[in-house]
Amino acid sequence: MSPSSTSVLGPEERIALAGEYVLGLLEGADLTAFDQRLETDPDLAAAVERWRVHFAAIDATAKPIGPPAELWSRIEIELAKVAQQAAPASSSSAAPVSSPIQASRSTPATASHLSDWWNSLFVWRSAALAGALATIVLAAGLLGALDRARRQPVMVAVLLTEASVAAAVVNTFADGRVEMVPLQAIHVPEGKALEIWTLWDRAVGPRSVGLIERARSTHLRLDQLPLGKDQLFEITLEPATGSPTGRPTGPVIAKGTTAQAL
Amino acid sequence: MASNTVLPSKATDIETALHDCASGDKLALKRIYDAEAARMIGVAQRLLKRRALAEEAVQDAFVLIWRHAARFDPERGGGLTWIYAILRNRSLSILRDEKRTETSETPVAEETASEEDDPETVMSKLSDAKALRACLETLPPQRRGIVLLAFVQGLTHGEIAGRLKMPIGTVKSWIRRSLITLKECLG
Repeated sequence: MSPSSTSVLGPEERIALAGEYVLGLLEGADLTAFDQRLETDPDLAAAVERWRVHFAAIDATAKPIGPPAELWSRIEIELAKVAQQAAPASSSSAAPVSSPIQASRSTPATASHLSDWWNSLFVWRSAALAGALATIVLAAGLLGALDRARRQPVMVAVLLTEASVAAAVVNTFADGRVEMVPLQAIHVPEGKALEIWTLWDRAVGPRSVGLIERARSTHLRLDQLPLGKDQLFEITLEPATGSPTGRPTGPVIAKGTTAQAL
Repeated sequence: MASNTVLPSKATDIETALHDCASGDKLALKRIYDAEAARMIGVAQRLLKRRALAEEAVQDAFVLIWRHAARFDPERGGGLTWIYAILRNRSLSILRDEKRTETSETPVAEETASEEDDPETVMSKLSDAKALRACLETLPPQRRGIVLLAFVQGLTHGEIAGRLKMPIGTVKSWIRRSLITLKECLG
């Protein structure tokens, strides 16, 4: 069914697949396979470019909408962050909470107000989480089962591909450790890496919790982040240095939400 | 209309600006922004329906353009198509991200598209000078509409099938046939 997994494409197949790609109709594993193929197949890349040139006529019919005055300054703020990230992280804030990266998504006038709100929510959530974890650890200790609790996950998320194949599991442990274990090989093209994200609140957006150059077991850095049931974890394909925007930009390899382990 | 009177220098301007971006010239990025941001918001708005999301997509796109300018290769394609490909990818990611993250809000894809984004309205705005228009006109209206819905509004196979109450397999094969027919016409 999936033509992108075969090694040779017929001319019609190539045209149709390149067209579907430009229309935005390829998703999940098909999209990943196509992106990989593009890097090594110049004819396919040329077919994609020809479709883009033709369909550009449709984009030209979009009604221009004047950007708000502050959009350019928002972009400049982001560019400054890109430059900062390139340099070694200078910890300007000693606070245990990472700076409100989301502020740039609101207007400057409301940014500080929002970030105050955000910080307090964050602190509140962290405190609640710390309390919950402490309770779990204490209970386990009282039962003399701490050792068992350390080895048995508290919550598990099975990350599925678009085709509903289990690609990885995320295990969270009572002592706060979180690990991701791949269940199948994931092809990572040259210059790319797998980035792992978690999302617990739409208003906050996804946060990066790990970056690996190939599929392997890894600990996820959720240090200050909330962790609960039905929390989304996902793996995306990103540049080797991680997503340049701080949000997922590449195709989703697999995703899933946490559930309580029995 | 502005799109019909594009100066021949426009494309090379963008490519020169991308080249300058790659060497760290922020003013070059601003030149691209001044020339294209309004149209880019318009394109993102058609896909994302909400203005705030459209602006976010354009903001992200400019950060990505800046980050990846060094990778732009004029041998492989034009600067304008490269920029719009980045914008479309980013917009579709936001659109799909929004969809898979269920909230109490109406998912973006179910928000009403402006009438201006209807396939036939888009058709009527396509430049006569473009081969694409003539070739789209050779397709039966419903098939042409499906191709335009996918491109303009970012609908998936499943969403198109749902909207037109057609089996998804039919939608998929219609799109493939339409693309092959279009390509034969476009040459």
